[in-house]
Amino acid sequence: MIARSLILAIFMTGLAGLVASRNLVKKTYALAIMNSAVVLLFVLEGATIGTRAPLLGGSPGDAAAFVDPVPQALMLTAIVVGVCVSALALALAFRLYRAYGTLDIDELRKHVDHE
Amino acid sequence: MSTMNDAALAMLPVFLPLGGAAMALFAKTLRGSRAARTLEATAAFAGLALPWIALAALLPSAMAGGFRFSVSGWNDAIGITQRFDGLSWLVDVLGFTGAGAAYVYSRGAGPKGPHFTAIFLVQTSALAATASTTDLFNLFVCLEVLGLASYVLVASSGKGGALLAAFSYLAVSSAAMVFFLVGLFGFYRLTGSLSYEGIAAGLAAIPGGGGKSAALSTACVVAAIAIRVAVMPVYGWLPDAHALAPHAISAVLSGVLIKTPLFALGRLLGFLPLGSAAQALVGAAGAVTALVAVVVALSQKDAKRLLAYHSISQIGYIVAAWGLGTPAGLSAAWLHAFYHALFKGLLFLSVGTIADAAGTRNVYELRGAGAALALAGDKGRVTAIAYAIGALSITAIPPLNGFSSKGAISALFKGDWRYWALFAAGACTVASFLKLSTIFLPPRGDAARPRPPEPAEGFRVTPSMKASMTFLAGMCVVTGLFSRRIGAFAAGMLGAGGGLSIPSLWGGAEAAKTGLAVAIGAALFALAVSSPGKAIAAAVRSRPRSFAGLVVAFAAGLAALGALLVRLQ
Repeated sequence: MIARSLILAIFMTGLAGLVASRNLVKKTYALAIMNSAVVLLFVLEGATIGTRAPLLGGSPGDAAAFVDPVPQALMLTAIVVGVCVSALALALAFRLYRAYGTLDIDELRKHVDHE
Repeated sequence: MSTMNDAALAMLPVFLPLGGAAMALFAKTLRGSRAARTLEATAAFAGLALPWIALAALLPSAMAGGFRFSVSGWNDAIGITQRFDGLSWLVDVLGFTGAGAAYVYSRGAGPKGPHFTAIFLVQTSALAATASTTDLFNLFVCLEVLGLASYVLVASSGKGGALLAAFSYLAVSSAAMVFFLVGLFGFYRLTGSLSYEGIAAGLAAIPGGGGKSAALSTACVVAAIAIRVAVMPVYGWLPDAHALAPHAISAVLSGVLIKTPLFALGRLLGFLPLGSAAQALVGAAGAVTALVAVVVALSQKDAKRLLAYHSISQIGYIVAAWGLGTPAGLSAAWLHAFYHALFKGLLFLSVGTIADAAGTRNVYELRGAGAALALAGDKGRVTAIAYAIGALSITAIPPLNGFSSKGAISALFKGDWRYWALFAAGACTVASFLKLSTIFLPPRGDAARPRPPEPAEGFRVTPSMKASMTFLAGMCVVTGLFSRRIGAFAAGMLGAGGGLSIPSLWGGAEAAKTGLAVAIGAALFALAVSSPGKAIAAAVRSRPRSFAGLVVAFAAGLAALGALLVRLQ
């Protein structure tokens, strides 16, 4: 229960940062934090099912003893996607900073609307 | 039943564009040599033209009800299962038509370069994959690939506004995808499965169908996809992204990209106990969207932003029909989605060409568009005719295609509040396009008024731009004339036994209704260009738009959907 509450706290931290922070780089980090919270949730829950390495045809025996590989596989994918999203977001933030000299989203909106 | 051959064919619409993307990236390493250009053209041909052969070969099995298969023949427990049926086929046709026409246009107007071709093909591949996915894990991957490609493409014009629009779209849609994962987690915990069939079987085995957890998981998944579809209240990212992207990209984003996730969501909701309730709620939001977005469109001064708001309004029509959850509703939704891809693609391309030729996108300042186009080398008035056909299609004037598909949708809602909401939206659409059409008026003489802007230096309307617009314009006319056949075909593919009631093109009650909508629209237009109308328009335009607003709208939409689904259970 404590673990889940902490994960929820991490998630809310990310969400609050995404809404409240005006800095594009901090928004990108906030997104990464939200993503990490969900990764932790999956790993926490996935780890409670089974204990043995899930190798098909390798170790015979009770299938229920295998660790469920799906949450891990899904989270590996989510982490990769998260890295792509962060990289792209930072690239966009960098281009915006080079064009307008600020990372503040409200300032940027003003600059853009005046164009 | 699936044969090995069909399963291999069904992966081609996904793998061919992906292979093309790899070729285009390889062409990038050759640095602009002749070989690089040949390789890039081959890549585009392989990715956008060859899938049509696969689709033609797949037509018989799609018509026979489709088949499920596992990618590369892995067994179901560890492989990815896909389903290729009438819906996948129709959505693929929509996607490859829109993407192909837009790509041809981009050869003339840009963006160019192998990296653009590569990203464009990745996006096309993800569209085809999304259309036939039957697994939540795979749907997550498809949506993320689709998203990442489209953020890059929106930003590819390099303008500051486009970069900011891409960032906002990226941030809000990635945040929504985190909620998608939370919903996915909910289903996995309840059922131990991620395939739609497995989830359906698992939920059916639990007494009470999974209770609140299932309802909240459904809400998370639906809300995350609703962002991509841009239905109220989560449409705020779209106007900037679609207005500021390069014209060819605007055409694909509006024509194809906002619809594919909707049809993929419909496939999922068919398996969930609360699916039809969620579908009905989103459908009601769609009818409201159709009307609200068109009112905002009427107040815009940027020509492309005006078109972007019309995309939201038109997707509202599609979502409303889709929300019925019946095969007939789905058929009408697809028909309008396909026709919208044709005429909105055409409108974005022609209006974009006009704006480039005249050097401004301000509807209130741009005049003498015909002369500007002639100076840019469009002596045959291709762009002007293309615009006229697109505008007549979207305003549902017979015999063009918009008339038939809008008629088929409103026939589903006879005697319902949505019927009148859509009728009002139609009248506002007429008003809005009368306003946009003022760009063809001759320039005003008196010196106090802004003069027609100078044509942009060196801008030419090239043959590939004309070819693309001619193709889409021709399609608008042909699909309009053969609407009954196309509608019957789509209804057959989607299992709608009763078919679609497509109004007669020549006379009849529906045509009389069109006349009424045009009359009301003309009155609204007169109102909108009067001084008080302009003041109201300016007030609507200047309402605050902020990034925090996007996230708050998403959270509010998610909370409302979750609460309603929990209550409905």
